[in-house]
Amino acid sequence: MAPDGSVPLLTMDEVQMFRKFLPALLIFAAGSSFGQSQLYTVVDGYKVDPETMKGFRTWRAAACDRCHGANQEGLVGPSLVTSLKTLTKDEFVKTVRDGRLDKGMQSFGTSQQVMDNINQLYAYLKGRSDGAITRSKVEPMQ
Amino acid sequence: MRISGQPKRPSWSRLGMALLALPTLALANADVEKNIANSKNWAMQAGDMYNQRYSQLKQINTGNVGKMQVAWTFSTGVLRGHEGSPLVVDGKMYLHSPFPNKVFAIDLDTQKIMWKYEPKQDPAVIPQMCCDTVNRGLAYAEGKVILQQADSNLVALDAKTGKVVWSVKNGDPKLGAVNTNAPHVFKDKVITGISGGEWGVRGFIAAYNLSDGKQAWKGYSVGPDAEMLIDPDKTMTWTDGKMAPVGKDSSLKTWKGDQWKIGGGTTWGWYSYDKALNLMYYGTGNPSTWNPAQRPGDNKWSMTIFARDVDTGQAKWVYQMTPYDEWDFDGINEMILADIDVKGKPTKALVHFDRNGFGYTLDRVTGALLVAEKYDPKVNWATHVDMKTGRPQVVSKYSTAQNGADVNTKGVCPAALGSKDQQPASYDPETKLFYVPTNHVCMDYEPFKVEYTAGQPYVGATLSMFPAPGSHGGMGNFITWNAGTGKIVQSKAEKFSVWSGSLNTAGGLSCYGTLEGYLKCVDKKNIDKELFKFKTPSGIIGNVFTYEHKGKQFIGVFSGIGGWAGIGMAAGLEKDTDGLGAVGGYRELNQYTELGGSLTVFALPN
Repeated sequence: MAPDGSVPLLTMDEVQMFRKFLPALLIFAAGSSFGQSQLYTVVDGYKVDPETMKGFRTWRAAACDRCHGANQEGLVGPSLVTSLKTLTKDEFVKTVRDGRLDKGMQSFGTSQQVMDNINQLYAYLKGRSDGAITRSKVEPMQ
Repeated sequence: MRISGQPKRPSWSRLGMALLALPTLALANADVEKNIANSKNWAMQAGDMYNQRYSQLKQINTGNVGKMQVAWTFSTGVLRGHEGSPLVVDGKMYLHSPFPNKVFAIDLDTQKIMWKYEPKQDPAVIPQMCCDTVNRGLAYAEGKVILQQADSNLVALDAKTGKVVWSVKNGDPKLGAVNTNAPHVFKDKVITGISGGEWGVRGFIAAYNLSDGKQAWKGYSVGPDAEMLIDPDKTMTWTDGKMAPVGKDSSLKTWKGDQWKIGGGTTWGWYSYDKALNLMYYGTGNPSTWNPAQRPGDNKWSMTIFARDVDTGQAKWVYQMTPYDEWDFDGINEMILADIDVKGKPTKALVHFDRNGFGYTLDRVTGALLVAEKYDPKVNWATHVDMKTGRPQVVSKYSTAQNGADVNTKGVCPAALGSKDQQPASYDPETKLFYVPTNHVCMDYEPFKVEYTAGQPYVGATLSMFPAPGSHGGMGNFITWNAGTGKIVQSKAEKFSVWSGSLNTAGGLSCYGTLEGYLKCVDKKNIDKELFKFKTPSGIIGNVFTYEHKGKQFIGVFSGIGGWAGIGMAAGLEKDTDGLGAVGGYRELNQYTELGGSLTVFALPN
């Protein structure tokens, strides 16, 4: 797996800083402040609602980490932590569905698992990008 | 083959001369033999058919290598990982690049580009290439330059003009069957493999006629006997301390249901050939998926050393190194053929440094297992290889199958990229030692259930890698290895994985590249003595090669960071608490290098 110059924009120090300053028991329920339905719910930074859990499983099954890194911080592909700060939901869906072939992003349009769970995948990655989900591997909320 | 460097094969050159004198004889590799016998050339990716990576040239030697300077450089105009090396034949150099797989022919008199070939390939293959868009180089024979494109097309170019002579499709890239390997010319055949173990591709090796590109045979790694070109009664394997026939359905019996149809066993390494035995040797990769729970059984013949007849493809013998893989320890690394003493007995040996961390020595005539020892003391997933059964004795704690899906198995050494990956080792007939570029990296591995969808990734495990704990903190070693006894002779610590193929020379040198971008030459009799070090434009994952032109010896290497090693690995690092100082080492790679493909060629000053 090679870099394409897109080394992670979050350094390890910054990641640690995030961890330090995020109150451990804070419950994030993101999206509502933007007038949307709630995207994801997270407790302790890694316990998530069932839908977001599906998003994580989809991320894993589609092997997105192959290019975007185990922590979504970028590898051959760009950091999704950074990208999802600016990429709209529609752009996200289009990119996943059609790919950006010349840049090395494949099309997942024929993957039923990805397309059936695209909203959940977005929720999970948005949670990572927002800093609300503090680690890549999440677990179901009790 | 380097004739005079092989004292145990004295009749070889006479035989070669005799065959050259008989051009009507159907022996189409006479041209390749002639080219590799001339040590001024670098006519095959390993310099010879034995994969020895040894050169007779000695103008550059231990006494003067310190004065070596850059003679010329060449940019390929391509970013991403540059593996393999150029070829040199009769004053012309043939260079390849990663995707889009450009080929340049350069006149060494003028360093002018004689011709350039750039195939049009569907960019959809880019994301299908596991571990970067690398290409491991060209083959040359009978005035043809052979390119194995990423999109699986195998192409023969006219060496004079760059025009396509023939082209043949080797796989279906829509299903993830793409190529990164170098084609190899043995006899009258072009041998090539396939990649895509992480897409559920069923691996095979194929032979195409050098003359017209027609497929001569194709042998799968897994499946029914006939499709593997395995004869249940004649194909032998190590069984209970001796060689015995593999028996009927030797592969099918070791898979559950139809899993073998998407069962991996791809073949993207370096192949070797012993003309006297008419056998070619190569290894097969991991079974698909990486989640062992989905494929109970030994998954034969993934993770296997194959010896096949070059004319027919029939498998003479097989040896499976890692039955039921649980760690992605692909068995594709090169098979080095050497005539050495093994436990005191002169042996026609095959030596292989596997991803699983064991260095194997086999009798290449019969396939008998002779030596299997760890070539990195940190290897912990198995205690040892049982020499009677030939099976590794797996440590339960590190068994991702026993721990099960959705459990993170921690601290497995080596990591999935192996104690060594594709970066080829060299063998020196003078010191009788193997010079091995290695990785010193461990991992956590968590398998999970995954569904197969044609043309979509089919991986099924998440892993994180880190430098071997409790060691020197670096992620690599350059070692010398005695394959007759299975012992490390010397180990030189490196900050990063050594992901560059080494070169040994009659000038007393062993040279290799580093991920920071240094070309290093050490004293082959004492590898701790670093005699030369030069920082090339980017990290090195290419293989060192040498040639002579107009009375001058040159040593060259591609730089161009990428591949599975490199900055990517640092960026994927999860465990910021492990290894501490060493983790700093990963990130430090960013301070040394950036992308960019170029060739740097060195020589002594005039």
